[in-house]
Amino acid sequence: MTTARFRDLLAAEWIKLWSLRSTSWLIGLGTLAIVGFAANSSLDAYNSWPDFTEMEKARFTPLNEAFSALAASMLVIGAGSLGALTIVGEYTTGLIRTTLAAVPARHRVVAAKLTVTAAVTLATGTLISAGTFGVSQAILSGRGVAASLGDPGVLRVLAANALLAPVSALVGMGIGALVRHTAAAVVTVCAALVIVPTFFKPTVHQWQNDLFALVPFYVWRNCLHLPQLRDDPALPTVAGSWAVFALWPLAAAVATLIVVQRRDV
Amino acid sequence: MRCATVNHVIEVNGLTKRYGAVTAVRDLTFAVRPGHVTGFLGPNGAGKSTTLRMILGLNRPTAGGATIDGRSFARHRAGLRHVGALLDAGDVHGGRTAAAHLYALARGNGLPRRRVADVLEEVGLAGVARRRIGGFSLGMRQRLGIAAALLGDPPVLLFDEPVNGLDPEGVRWIRGLFRRLAAEGRTVLVSSHLMSEMENTADHLVVIGRGELIAAESLAVFAARGTGASVSVRTPDSAELAAVLALEGAHVRPDGGDVLTVTGLGAARIGELAHQRRIMLHELAPRTASLEQAFMELTADRADYRADCRADVRVGDAR
Repeated sequence: MTTARFRDLLAAEWIKLWSLRSTSWLIGLGTLAIVGFAANSSLDAYNSWPDFTEMEKARFTPLNEAFSALAASMLVIGAGSLGALTIVGEYTTGLIRTTLAAVPARHRVVAAKLTVTAAVTLATGTLISAGTFGVSQAILSGRGVAASLGDPGVLRVLAANALLAPVSALVGMGIGALVRHTAAAVVTVCAALVIVPTFFKPTVHQWQNDLFALVPFYVWRNCLHLPQLRDDPALPTVAGSWAVFALWPLAAAVATLIVVQRRDV
Repeated sequence: MRCATVNHVIEVNGLTKRYGAVTAVRDLTFAVRPGHVTGFLGPNGAGKSTTLRMILGLNRPTAGGATIDGRSFARHRAGLRHVGALLDAGDVHGGRTAAAHLYALARGNGLPRRRVADVLEEVGLAGVARRRIGGFSLGMRQRLGIAAALLGDPPVLLFDEPVNGLDPEGVRWIRGLFRRLAAEGRTVLVSSHLMSEMENTADHLVVIGRGELIAAESLAVFAARGTGASVSVRTPDSAELAAVLALEGAHVRPDGGDVLTVTGLGAARIGELAHQRRIMLHELAPRTASLEQAFMELTADRADYRADCRADVRVGDAR
């Protein structure tokens, strides 16, 4: 008798994810919307370029037209909600009992869920990052101000934009495992990942700057998303920012594992 | 096909579950053997579902444990191949189709896709395989849950209140299914809060009340625990007949109008006595509801139960 391999659990989670219509709708429409924003914003800049002052032209960052903070907020909320719902959906419907009665090794179920969610959102994030860049730079090249992949910092920005999705999705899943309530989970995802960090600004108090530098959306906005970085101790460093991008989803994954393992269902 | 062996036994040992000050299940010990349908009976809130969930490792016992095939269920990798369970027909995501729901479960246990079509056919849902579960009736969801339980062709099956929501045809079908599964040598545990459901299905009974074991024995032995069979007699001379029967040592209870409920004497003997005294009888009917009665008596509040029950229906010698 063969036994279930981890690959089978991955396949099961893959089937579960895509057999819900909301998944394709959320990912499809979300991607279109964000790429559409990039096109719209780039066309705006293209059209008003002759009216820009010299100062405005000098300060123009083509990457910002591709993927603005607003687009990032949408991506973070979308991916975070997707991650939260993959686990909240199991608890609110009671499906979790069916799932765990079929596969009693809970840590393997959670690991498969984390892997599939991370992979799907990373693919989506990469598509969005590449798509927004391609569309906007194609438009802006008409004014000769497009960035190219070889420009300093561009690859880092594109990678950071792509990684926002899986980072948010895994954090969302951790929040979902802790909260186990649809509305509460989505509100918590929005608040923790986007709304609260939006109020964080570099200050004269270094301890606050150090604290802010632990928040994914903050380090994205004030470091990873910027092609050219100022050497300022008030701002997060690139290495520190990548560490934040790694540690949040890792902590969320550990929290999900522990919570699902310990709780009665 | 599997044969009945000592394997595939469910063993529950000192199982206890406390939620704060409330004890849902207290020191429960029993075994469920293959080749039989075992009814798991108890009133609502007796702790049946909690016990089943602990057997499946979904709830962590406060004390004690349960094993299947001598191992705790959590140690089995592909659960569906060892135990098929229907806990609650609602434990599904309404947004998925029946086929997708089952396919995900099958894939997670390394089972081939054709099992999905097989079990949907078996439970009579093949026609709605591509429909979303959200639109299913309770009866259809029960059938879907049974399909999921059968996916891995498991030697052990647990069903929690599977008859809820089924139409009469469905009830007949499910009883046949349980008997067939047991006849194939599987271990089948079916919970219910209605004795009548078990009467025609189960060979063995595990009865609990308020989280404690009341009985674990064959249906026949359990039935004998009740106050016994009674006979309903209708006669225009009820007072006279009551006096005659009482003289013979029967317990006679007037049941309104000209009806007497007699215990302690068989219908034949009552008829003979009436004939000898030339008392006319309009009706003489043995009552067979003793199983239900036994269940009601045994699961009633323990204080009431102690106050008015005979010594031979006491708890404790259940094993």
